[in-house]
Amino acid sequence: MSLEHFVGLGIVLFTIGAAGFFIRNNAVVLLLCIEIMLNAVNLIFASFARYLYGTEGQIFIFIIMTIAAAEAVVGLGIIIALYRTHKTLDMSSKL
Amino acid sequence: MEPVIFWILSAGAVVSALAVVFFKKAVNGVMSLLAFMLVMAALYVLMGAQVVAFFQVIVYVGAVLVLFAFVIMLLNLKDASSSIFALPPVATAALPAVLLTLGMAVLGWFVLQDAAFSRAPVVLPPAPGLRQIAGDLFTRHLLVFELASVILFVAAVGAIVISRKEGDRS
Repeated sequence: MSLEHFVGLGIVLFTIGAAGFFIRNNAVVLLLCIEIMLNAVNLIFASFARYLYGTEGQIFIFIIMTIAAAEAVVGLGIIIALYRTHKTLDMSSKL
Repeated sequence: MEPVIFWILSAGAVVSALAVVFFKKAVNGVMSLLAFMLVMAALYVLMGAQVVAFFQVIVYVGAVLVLFAFVIMLLNLKDASSSIFALPPVATAALPAVLLTLGMAVLGWFVLQDAAFSRAPVVLPPAPGLRQIAGDLFTRHLLVFELASVILFVAAVGAIVISRKEGDRS
């Protein structure tokens, strides 16, 4: 397997996540799509760490995982507050 | 053997990611994302990044997805709207196509940029182990590590402040 196999897979997964973020209207699914995008970027970082001989890629992955955890916590807090005030998670409805 | 495993795993990753996007219920999406995370962990093992796979399972599967499932169960969503898509059908069909084409263009540009660079070496050096990663993380990247702890603390406090009821003094 070569570098561009893994980078290509990462690009495809990022595209799926980005498209899902734009076309879906459920707020929870939007957060799930953000997680898919973060994982795709992690995959690209790991493949560069593998093929360009470094530990930096894996360290960046740890930092990205930290940010993803923080983002999930804050995002779910926002979703709970949104549901409490508007009684819906439909992003295309008039709030 | 390695290409076979790679293609099986990448097919699983793409299918489960598509399932997240196209499942109607959010609970099913969370379960598909669980499968996606496990497949990604297997891909990390394939790349020799066992430490990353370990933390992928612990952090994502063990913490983040449990949190998602918890919130979905807590909210008890019943408002199944008629359409799961936010855009009109033409835009819904066109947007992924445009994004995928742009992604492939980026990949092609990246490969053509330096053909010798993207050609894999015949013998890859051994992947860095836990000792090497830890040594790097706690010496050269110590500031980033400390900032990550600050970010986690701020996020925890922020989540409590955001999701608290208005006027709740306790």
